[in-house]
Amino acid sequence: MADIRLDFVCKSFGKTEAVHELSLNVDNGEFLVLLGPTGAGKTTTLRLVAGLERPDKGRVAIAGRDVTSAPPAMRDVTFVFQQYSLYPHLSVFDNLAFPLRSPVRRTPPAEIERKVREVARLLHIEDKLQNRATQLSGGQMQRVAIGRALVRSPAIYLMDEPLSSLDAKLRGEMRIELQRIQRELGATILYVTHDQTEAMTLATRIGVMDRGRLVQVGTPREIYENPVDAYVATRLGSPGINLVPRSVFPTMPAPPAAATVGVRTEHVRIRKANDGGALGTVSWIEHLGDQDHLHVAIGERDFVTLSDADAGLGVGDPVAIEVMRPLFFDAAGRRVPG
Amino acid sequence: MTELTPVSSLADRVAAASPDWALRRAGGFSDRSIAWLFIAPTIVLLLAINIFPLIWTIRLSFTNYRGNRPNAPLKSVGLDHYQSILSDPDIWAAMQATAHFVLWTIALQTLLGFALAWLIDRKFRGHALWTTIILIPMMLSPAVVGNFWRFLYQPQIGLFNYLVSFISGVPPSSFEMIGSVKLAPWSIILVDTWMWTPYVALIILAGLRSIPDYIYEAAEVDRASSWRQFWSITLPMVLPFIMLAVLFRGIENFKMFDMVNLLTSGGPGSTTEVASITLKREAFEKWRTGYSSAFAIILFVTVFGLANIYVKALNRVRQR
Repeated sequence: MADIRLDFVCKSFGKTEAVHELSLNVDNGEFLVLLGPTGAGKTTTLRLVAGLERPDKGRVAIAGRDVTSAPPAMRDVTFVFQQYSLYPHLSVFDNLAFPLRSPVRRTPPAEIERKVREVARLLHIEDKLQNRATQLSGGQMQRVAIGRALVRSPAIYLMDEPLSSLDAKLRGEMRIELQRIQRELGATILYVTHDQTEAMTLATRIGVMDRGRLVQVGTPREIYENPVDAYVATRLGSPGINLVPRSVFPTMPAPPAAATVGVRTEHVRIRKANDGGALGTVSWIEHLGDQDHLHVAIGERDFVTLSDADAGLGVGDPVAIEVMRPLFFDAAGRRVPG
Repeated sequence: MTELTPVSSLADRVAAASPDWALRRAGGFSDRSIAWLFIAPTIVLLLAINIFPLIWTIRLSFTNYRGNRPNAPLKSVGLDHYQSILSDPDIWAAMQATAHFVLWTIALQTLLGFALAWLIDRKFRGHALWTTIILIPMMLSPAVVGNFWRFLYQPQIGLFNYLVSFISGVPPSSFEMIGSVKLAPWSIILVDTWMWTPYVALIILAGLRSIPDYIYEAAEVDRASSWRQFWSITLPMVLPFIMLAVLFRGIENFKMFDMVNLLTSGGPGSTTEVASITLKREAFEKWRTGYSSAFAIILFVTVFGLANIYVKALNRVRQR
């Protein structure tokens, strides 16, 4: 178990700057999730910690030791890749035993056997140990890949979108399993994803990345309720936050710098308004079973709210909108306290 | 409209004049029969130039037929040819020369081909250009290669002998690659290796390139040394490609004829007389057509059998 410390780390590939002056601390036993779209520099950050890339500038430290120029083998980390990075010609058992058979850490065969069986039990792949790696389903392969990371009890676990190639059902199961594993092992995990559900459910803290920069770090609740800018606000929440010009709500009390108002879909009270006072009309309704997504046309804009399935609203109804806990952003998208 | 109607419009007219039921029948060809129609030319060709000659050769191998006396009475000799071939020391010498040639060329080409592929696989400046340059020997015709290596091996003016003497200090005309009993087998092994190593390298390169980077990265994080990465990732994953290259080179060199014929013609004496040279001598110099047919069949069965066993092994490796 250990902590990670990144200080002003920069990494460019040719002319593209993948990571720009990134500083981040991951505490011992923390599950930190880096969230951001493709190309935000999440994976590069992870590879910098693993030692698969060397930073152009800055410093990487693991467990208080400067490892900026240390090779991956000297960092005591494991890495779960997005692709199932199994050794295809080896059996599941041999795949799991591979890291233990490293000459750097001689492990007696009985010990290897015990650890592999333990991890296999944890991941429910005990009955697959003798199978070839190529004879597994996608979910099983990725569990073996995660198992290969677990078997070694390293200082740091690094995971690069490990669940993205699984189907939705399996992803849900694996999410729960990962949480359980992290709790049981008290592991320090740095985890990369573009999936907000994974970030919200798994993370102790989330780091939101945008174009090579770490925009905000905080607990899922902090990030959700107190985003530092409009970009972070759009990363979380499904359906996404409504961003509308200040002028849409002329009567709302707002700080003078506010140019945009952000309204979470659940922070809206909506009622039928046949008596004037209507802000827009219902343009269509998505029925999700337990709830409805109500799309309200305000002029040219689409405004999304949640409503109970039995709210009695129909397409074409004029509606009044009452906003609770609005977020204000200035012209540049920065948060304005209000 | 007269007799001068062009053929194409004639076809149109026939079609137009045909009663409906005839058209329906033409269009009513099942997919299956049309498929047969398309592959029929290939099948006929295959039968004519592969299967029929094979059967004919089998037939001739039981007779005393001689190609230069086609009208002589044909007599069946049963298994006599097979018997005498299998107990003929000259034939066994030829088989040994062939085995020597095949085994050494495969060993050298695989080793050097792997090394070459390994080097080309590193991305260095201008590696695409070097890859192309390295491939040049295999683009040449074996006839050209055979002829110009004769010049290179020439003791007085040959570049090869000059180079060896330049490096080792031995006078260039003190040894003869082609003329000496000891060196002649190696002279053909050398040329074949020079010519075909790039081919083996190319196949192995395809194998090396098929291994994704992240497997090596995973191994690196798993603290596998370069040595262990080579033995536990590179080699097993490239093995099917190596085996394929060995299969191609093995079959090719088992029936090697052109280059050996041009370089040494089987000499000096019969030191480099590989099976196909013996076969050619029996068939077209001594005109023992029946006898050489039997030998050809024996060679065919040998290659076919060996290749089959080998392909089975290859498939086993691939399924892993």
